[in-house]
Amino acid sequence: MEEFDKKDGFRAPEGYFGDFTSKLMDKLSEEGPAFPKKEGFTVPEGYFDGLHNNIRGSLDARETKVVRLNRYRKYYFAAAAVAAVVLLFFGINGQGTQEPTFEDLANSDIDAYFERYELGLSTYEIAEVIPVDELEINDIVDHGLEEEHIMIYLEDNIEDFEELNLEIDE
Amino acid sequence: MLTEETLVQQLKEPDSRSKAFELLVNTYKQRLYWHIRRIVLDHDDADDVLQNAFIKVFKNIDGFKGDSKLYSWMYRIATNEALSFLRTKSKRLGLSDGALQDRMVESLQADVYFEGDAIQLKLQKAIATLPEKQKLIFNMKYFEELKYEEISEILETSVGGLKASYHLASKKIEAYLRQE
Repeated sequence: MEEFDKKDGFRAPEGYFGDFTSKLMDKLSEEGPAFPKKEGFTVPEGYFDGLHNNIRGSLDARETKVVRLNRYRKYYFAAAAVAAVVLLFFGINGQGTQEPTFEDLANSDIDAYFERYELGLSTYEIAEVIPVDELEINDIVDHGLEEEHIMIYLEDNIEDFEELNLEIDE
Repeated sequence: MLTEETLVQQLKEPDSRSKAFELLVNTYKQRLYWHIRRIVLDHDDADDVLQNAFIKVFKNIDGFKGDSKLYSWMYRIATNEALSFLRTKSKRLGLSDGALQDRMVESLQADVYFEGDAIQLKLQKAIATLPEKQKLIFNMKYFEELKYEEISEILETSVGGLKASYHLASKKIEAYLRQE
């Protein structure tokens, strides 16, 4: 076949492709949508007037209040503290009360905590702190997975069960 | 009129902080409120989120380095507060994001602070169908009339990307309104 010159003589204005994307985007966004600009939302009367005071109130409530102790008050508080310690010592000692541990938490409490609060961790970050290599399937699944159950499942669900050539410990 | 740098400086100084914060709230309360309201739709929720956003601004002003404009930084805080509020709400109610959006729009009909007519309600329904980012961009451009450059700084997205998203969002809303 005869060889043709690949050049076809056409050319584009200088800088054409550099501006093309932004020109196109401008054109796209110039096409104004044809729907109403009013949304219908309203606010309670005087809402914006009282807003600063409301925010100031919330801020003050969140900041810890520091109460300065008067000199004589110190002794009252010291005496009350000593009395409380003595009471606690005699009251608690002997009952064998222990500090609550992680095991004391009900699973439902832990579930509820994770449901309610954002952990802020990605799955990769979670995977980094959980020793996946050391986990067994029974650590995750509630009911122990017995070999017998697996066999029954395979028998029921696999068409050519025999072809699996499983070694069964009898 | 106070420049932004002066206002930030006054917010960082303990002696002038309180007065400067009042000025900041009064300057931005309406703009931020409507920005949040368009995300959470309900007035009481918007009020909670707006107060939390201003409290975050107040508590974190020392960390504001001035790399972006103050209002962009505040818009970013308000946007994040509103979105995380919705995420917590959907988890608490056990709903997917889409189901929560549907419920929020349905609730508008009984909302005393929504006086929109049938067309405006339909428009809100259409906006609710958009993906989160397109919804933000559409509201900021169409209703808040922010410039692309401003939205770009707030959402940290390129202007070209914003224009494309806005165009897509508008077309989807038009198609929804035609179809209904």
